[in-house]
Amino acid sequence: MKMNCEEFEAIGLDSGTGRVTPAEEAAAAEHAGKCAKCAALAESWDAARAELGVFAAATQSAQTPARVQMRLLQELRAQKRPHEVYRRTGAIAVWGLAAAALIVAAVSWQSWRVDHRNPQSAKNIPAVPSAVSSESESFSIVADEDTGAFTPLPGALPFASEEGSIYQVRLQRASLGALGLPVNEDGAADWINVDLLVADDGTPQGVRLHEDAADSATLQ
Amino acid sequence: MKVSDERDDVLLRRAAKGDEAAFASLYGRHQASLYRYALRMTGSPWAAEEVVQDVFMTLIRQPKKYDAEKGEVGAFLFGITRYRVMKHLERAPRGLPLDPQFESGVTNEPVDLLTPAFWAERRERIEQVRDAVLSLPAEFREAVVLCELEELSYEEAAQKSGCPIGTIRSRLHRGRALLMARLELLRDVPRRASAGD
Repeated sequence: MKMNCEEFEAIGLDSGTGRVTPAEEAAAAEHAGKCAKCAALAESWDAARAELGVFAAATQSAQTPARVQMRLLQELRAQKRPHEVYRRTGAIAVWGLAAAALIVAAVSWQSWRVDHRNPQSAKNIPAVPSAVSSESESFSIVADEDTGAFTPLPGALPFASEEGSIYQVRLQRASLGALGLPVNEDGAADWINVDLLVADDGTPQGVRLHEDAADSATLQ
Repeated sequence: MKVSDERDDVLLRRAAKGDEAAFASLYGRHQASLYRYALRMTGSPWAAEEVVQDVFMTLIRQPKKYDAEKGEVGAFLFGITRYRVMKHLERAPRGLPLDPQFESGVTNEPVDLLTPAFWAERRERIEQVRDAVLSLPAEFREAVVLCELEELSYEEAAQKSGCPIGTIRSRLHRGRALLMARLELLRDVPRRASAGD
């Protein structure tokens, strides 16, 4: 392989760097042996390369000062902080809502259970007189403010309707007799629904027949 | 798997979520080569420090800028570094003054084996070479830094510079010619001065 001056400038100066093939290196060396100009160029470049090598070695172990890493880590923490705050706030809000919902559900369930097991104690309402309760099935409390059409029971004192409670009661018609009301004997064994007005002290004050019961019942 | 064994892109994803160990590992892998490149190109440790800091700040603030399909994290970081260095060189005046801190603590040679005169001469010569490198136009300087100082192959240097291999070879050829002339001149100054005495 032959090499001219132009090729030597382009390739020959890379001799010894591993960037040229052994054949190219040999051709460059051969050319430099014959051409004084290229030999001088090679010598000049060898000197320059040696100096560059010293310069490279002097900067080879250069490292970024440690303070840069510290600044960067600070920046990383600062970038991370808002995300953490949002995440934490969100988590607290979700857990708070869940806990509140759980408490509400538990209280509601407990209240519902108490109401269904013992409706009278839940309302802290005195019991209906035994004469009535023994023969009747009380099944719900109606917080009905409508006290119209109540038949006052014999012996009942004048009474402000807002001070009592109204109970829906299912009882046998004959039970009305125990409250001092006259009962038609023909249907004495019938079960009827009535509204019972009870004063705060637990004494019954009046009774009102439901429409279906009123059709077939006579109080007087 | 240890943090030090993770791939760069995995570390970057973790760092983006605030993982300091992952970020420190990624930083440790790349900071030295980026700093060295910036230092050799700018000749200023302060500028190199600023460049490296900016590069990693970009990584912290805009990690999504990295696109794994376009290349590796190292190449991405070098691309930002190169851009910052070129911007710095555009702004900085030509013929930067020598920085006395340039060499401090950057040699591994045992000092006690060298005479003070040798040490002073060596330091002066290194500064001359650095001057000569810094006097090159940025493109030629980059080719010299990558191919001669970093000792990369033409392919690697072309990839880092984002230009064809032929362009790198051409830039290196011209850079070498300018560098040789400059170093010859610097070598001759003391000779001429001593000849004139």
